[in-house]
Amino acid sequence: MRSGWCLGGALLLAAACAPSPARTKVTPAGSARVSAVPHALVIDFRDGTPAEEVAERARRWGLPLRFNSVEGTRSGIAIADGVDDVDAALARVRGDADVEVAEPLVQVQALAFTPNDPEFGKQWNLRMIHMPEAWDISRGKGVTVAVIDTGIAYEDRDDFVQIPDLAGARFVEGYDFVNDTTHPNDENGHGTHVAGTIAQRTNNGVGVAGVAFEARLMPLKVLDRSGIGNSADIADAIRWAVDHGAKVLNLSLGGPGYSGVMERAVAYARSKGAVVVCAAGNSGQGQVSYPAAYAGAVAVGAVGPDGQLAPYSSYGEALDIVAPGGNTRLGPGNGILQATIDRSDFRKPVLAEYQGTSMATPHVAGVAALLFAAGAKSPDEVERALYAGARSEGAWTPRAGHGRLDALGALNALGKTAPGVDWTPLVWSAALLALLLLSLQTKVRPGFLNVLLNPATLLPLLLSTVGLWFLKLLWQRFIGHPPSAAEVLSLPLPDWERILFGRGRLASPLMYSALVPAVTALVAVKWRALRPVVAGLSLGFSAFLLYAAWAKAPGIAYLPFTFLARPWLVLNGLLAALVCRAMLRREARR
Amino acid sequence: MKVRGTVEFRDIEMGVWVLAGDDGKTYQLAGGRSSLLKEGQRVEVEGDVDGGAMGVAMVGPVLRVHGFKVV
Repeated sequence: MRSGWCLGGALLLAAACAPSPARTKVTPAGSARVSAVPHALVIDFRDGTPAEEVAERARRWGLPLRFNSVEGTRSGIAIADGVDDVDAALARVRGDADVEVAEPLVQVQALAFTPNDPEFGKQWNLRMIHMPEAWDISRGKGVTVAVIDTGIAYEDRDDFVQIPDLAGARFVEGYDFVNDTTHPNDENGHGTHVAGTIAQRTNNGVGVAGVAFEARLMPLKVLDRSGIGNSADIADAIRWAVDHGAKVLNLSLGGPGYSGVMERAVAYARSKGAVVVCAAGNSGQGQVSYPAAYAGAVAVGAVGPDGQLAPYSSYGEALDIVAPGGNTRLGPGNGILQATIDRSDFRKPVLAEYQGTSMATPHVAGVAALLFAAGAKSPDEVERALYAGARSEGAWTPRAGHGRLDALGALNALGKTAPGVDWTPLVWSAALLALLLLSLQTKVRPGFLNVLLNPATLLPLLLSTVGLWFLKLLWQRFIGHPPSAAEVLSLPLPDWERILFGRGRLASPLMYSALVPAVTALVAVKWRALRPVVAGLSLGFSAFLLYAAWAKAPGIAYLPFTFLARPWLVLNGLLAALVCRAMLRREARR
Repeated sequence: MKVRGTVEFRDIEMGVWVLAGDDGKTYQLAGGRSSLLKEGQRVEVEGDVDGGAMGVAMVGPVLRVHGFKVV
């Protein structure tokens, strides 16, 4: 008996040592740029050439030769620098019998596009999200991004000007909902700054760079000179944007008041295939403002150059992701620098450094445009890539969302983020099954394989741990892009709650609990034939819940404190295991 | 409505004048005479919260100022 528990414990431990799927790795771009390092060469001696022989040749050839690393005594790789004439030195070296290869030393670096904009060096925010590397993959070409804001300084008309660093940027027709004209000029400076982060003219030798500089900007003015507007204009602008072809909507604005009209507009935009990116708010408190808090919106919080949540940034249950928004408390140079118009004279172009979740939002909108240009087909796909590519410590948290925006990570994650089959909960369930069976007395213990080979048990076990995983694969192979219902059915059974409750950030405690096993077990008390089925179901739920607790994902809705999620999952996982054990025992007695 | 509090300038977004209310809330000040906008000034503001207003500052509800007195 005791040895049985030990064995089961060892199996559980082995399952727990499997790598966590919750972590996201960011790999550099696949290609690399190669350039020669001046006055340096590398020699590959015969493997195992001792250091004394290398030193002897260094003297003979007059080269400051040394092993490249501790590996040198085995690999024979040595380098020399400060060589005046590399070609002549290589000619001397190549005749030696112990030299296998001799060549100039080359520098290898990941491909990275460095624009020539003179102030690019001050844009720490773009380096933080790995824009130079991401620009080699996508620059947002052909994607329309609507800037729903105070307008943009995009044309020379009457007193209004086009700022120099937007000359040559691509614009599509917009609208001014404040004054009801077709000229959404900026009188405030906010919208122009935000538009600059998205698609500032880049590599033009002027000013600064923007995230998706080959995207098209759609100026939509909904805020007046003082930066204030109303929900009706904003809702109209959201609908106008998607009806005129915008795939990404940037709303660096918000307020504390809920508006059903605006929530419907956000849902409409999403249903038309657009991503709605909104600022989380600047209250510094645990409450995300509207429209960011609506279900269809991507809520963006702000971090400073230190990667920490900025003191002004709002956060909370509705937060999706954080991006650089600046923190000027850390001193000058720590805001977001962009070209715009002077806030007290809209005819005067300036470079201005601002901070706020408004500044963080266009980074995410810009990367969303890069993702669409790189082949993303739906807002779901864009959001999955944004979140999977974000830098994080693990699971979603109220102060970081899914993590810190990373353009390169998001582009690398694109296409790989369809919820793949995760077999780990199944491994957990096998370990758990062994543990449960060993805890039963010998005479009521059915064999391990007897349980697993019984289709009545195995099928519900598979359903509740890996789901109808083949459905999505078959759909993609033979029909095309699967509808969301098929995607949900391809998930483990506890995740089917998304059919009932929609895509939320938190899991429902009805499905992420032992409720389903417990209720079905009550039925099985009378109906004995159901017991193998309930055993498989409970085992699967138990493994899934314990695995979810261990992987720190996800949060549970309606719990008063975030930290209660893991105890909840563990408790319910153990309850489901008890149900399974009871079902196995009764089955054995029959 | 009347709200007592301290007038403050916050360097957020384009810069915003707020009333740090004694009720614990932060109001974005809109309208009113420029003599209201003095850092650290203790005032009682007479105005209305504009529930439908949205803006770039996002620091709290917008308070449309009708008048004020220094306290």
